[in-house]
Amino acid sequence: MNIYEYQAKKIFKNFGISIPAGMIAYTPMEAKAAALKVSPDGPWIIKAQIQAGARRNGKFLDKRAGKQGGIRLVRNIDDVAKNADEMLENTLVTRQTDAKGRLVSRVYIEEYVKATKKFYLGIVSDRISASAMLLIMPLEENDDEDILDKSIENTENVLKINLGLHKTITNAVLQKAIDFMKYAGDVASLKSFFNKALKIFYANDATMLEINPVGIQKNGRIWALDAKIMFDDNALYRHNDILKLSDEVGIDERESTASKYGFQYKELDNGIGIITNGSGLALNIINEAQKQNLETACFLNLKGGVDRDKIAASIRLIMTNPTVDGIFINILGGFSRCNLIADGIIAVANDLGLNIPLVARFEGTNKEEAINILQSSGLPLKIAPDTYTGLTMLKEAIEEDL
Amino acid sequence: MAVLVDKNTKIMVQGITGTQASFHIQRAIKYGTNIVAGVVPNKKEDTHLGVPVFNTVKEAKEKTKATASLIFVPAKSAKAAILEAIDAKLDLIVVITSGIPVSDMMEIRHELTKTKTILIGPNTPGIITPDESYMGIFPDNIHKSGNIGIISRSSTLTYEVVLELNKAGFGESTVVGLGDDFIIGTGFIDIIKKFNADKNTKAIVLVGGIGGNYELETAHVYAEMTKEKPVIALMIEDPTSLSINFGLAPDILCRGITTPQEKKKLLESSGMIVVDNLSDLTKCLSQL
Repeated sequence: MNIYEYQAKKIFKNFGISIPAGMIAYTPMEAKAAALKVSPDGPWIIKAQIQAGARRNGKFLDKRAGKQGGIRLVRNIDDVAKNADEMLENTLVTRQTDAKGRLVSRVYIEEYVKATKKFYLGIVSDRISASAMLLIMPLEENDDEDILDKSIENTENVLKINLGLHKTITNAVLQKAIDFMKYAGDVASLKSFFNKALKIFYANDATMLEINPVGIQKNGRIWALDAKIMFDDNALYRHNDILKLSDEVGIDERESTASKYGFQYKELDNGIGIITNGSGLALNIINEAQKQNLETACFLNLKGGVDRDKIAASIRLIMTNPTVDGIFINILGGFSRCNLIADGIIAVANDLGLNIPLVARFEGTNKEEAINILQSSGLPLKIAPDTYTGLTMLKEAIEEDL
Repeated sequence: MAVLVDKNTKIMVQGITGTQASFHIQRAIKYGTNIVAGVVPNKKEDTHLGVPVFNTVKEAKEKTKATASLIFVPAKSAKAAILEAIDAKLDLIVVITSGIPVSDMMEIRHELTKTKTILIGPNTPGIITPDESYMGIFPDNIHKSGNIGIISRSSTLTYEVVLELNKAGFGESTVVGLGDDFIIGTGFIDIIKKFNADKNTKAIVLVGGIGGNYELETAHVYAEMTKEKPVIALMIEDPTSLSINFGLAPDILCRGITTPQEKKKLLESSGMIVVDNLSDLTKCLSQL
């Protein structure tokens, strides 16, 4: 689960990390009022809130926002409302979003903290070593995210330390960080900063915590000028406070319904709707469809443990997507049993009627039973022996349907 | 010959009395799998599906000489169950459970470094040696005995691979599902080594997954290995945005290599044959 920067900063504050004074605003008027509150004379940083990074170099889809990205330094109070107006209800596309981008529903207005030194700090779960990695990269004062993008390919630019099972910074790790960054400030403050960040990471079952950048002021004070936390979905059951932060703004109704059922759902273009059980399987079908000149409108991955109700819900959901002109259900059952899936298809078809072509393909546990159920239902759907044939059958059915 | 599991492997099942476990174990027994014990803490019955049930893994191991455990325990109690199996020094643990927290898996992997136990999964369909035995939730009617070893990080796509191979006249020595969770017990390389040592395996098919740095790590290690058997990697292209990372840190760990296309290049340069679709995979196997 992802949260917004301002939510992450609130958590940082609770754990004792310094963050600039800031307020969230949903309208340009609110933005101006917030600016006067957080810093009467400015300057201010206006930050578009989306749950993805690389905002500074992002592009807004609506041209009213001009060429500037989603993080802006503003010196004049009259420009606060103007910039907020350009960003709000606009869509921001960054390197970390897809081409559709994310809707900006709120902006964060912050006092500007002038840092004399900056560095990137990341704490991330590493799959290979099965432990947390500490990532540090010193930044020049004017470094922006693009420079950072280029530098990650050169591994020498980033200090990577495997923390093992240590939940606090050891002196050896601290020394490595100090040497790497040529840090000349107060060692105890830096150690305390690292430890607070690690505490946030572990206490909340985060899989990633990033501060890009950490700012060090002339007086030595260390600030989190940015904040990003990604939480482990599998561990959310032990963190009700985090679950409450879940915000589905920027996610459309269908995506939100899908997530309630535990489905993975993604909209792409116009074309067929794919229901399957596995993301690798979904990619394979999308690629095979492309070869047959079939575009994909959306795919829905049921994930494991598919039953009658889940399949029914998935078909209902796909049918509410107006861009879908045919449905391909492709289930390879191991854990999932095909007969239950067939029952679900029949339930929906009887309930809503089948107004677009549907081709189903099953393989695996209780396959024959499933095929029998569907064939004897008398419904206008087709059963395919494999992916390739299924897509050909669907293509023909769609062409007839037009 | 096979790797990890054959008809003689004595298997216990942790969480055997659950609905899903019961359904799949019944089928596995019918298939010929040598299920010798069930483990359920505070058990209410002494036998289940005709198999003796014990309170602890240790007791089950002592009484039945089981060397492997198949785990169906729900995510919230999976850590305890896995640690119990590691503590009992079993040779092999296969975890079907999905949704185990990342931090739990970190602890588990740390414990694993102290033992010789192999952990497969979590969130895997398991391991199957066709016509002999399987530990998992496979659709058992699709597999055919043969000499292709399959190692996969993608669950259901593996079934599609198996179906295509069989249609082309091939069969499998053993199919190993590594699991598609964030942190898994065993990676590609360890299983490639096992297949290299298995006389019956003539070629190895590696099915890559979406996201993460497993394929990268595999390429780096494989590049330095002696090439004993042909390894063909299947990396399906991603026309969606599933492989985009939502932060810089995962990109740093991957050295900026995230898309299947980028992974493909790297695997190729390590000495593997790389394909991006199933028909090329079978064509490729036919030409070996």
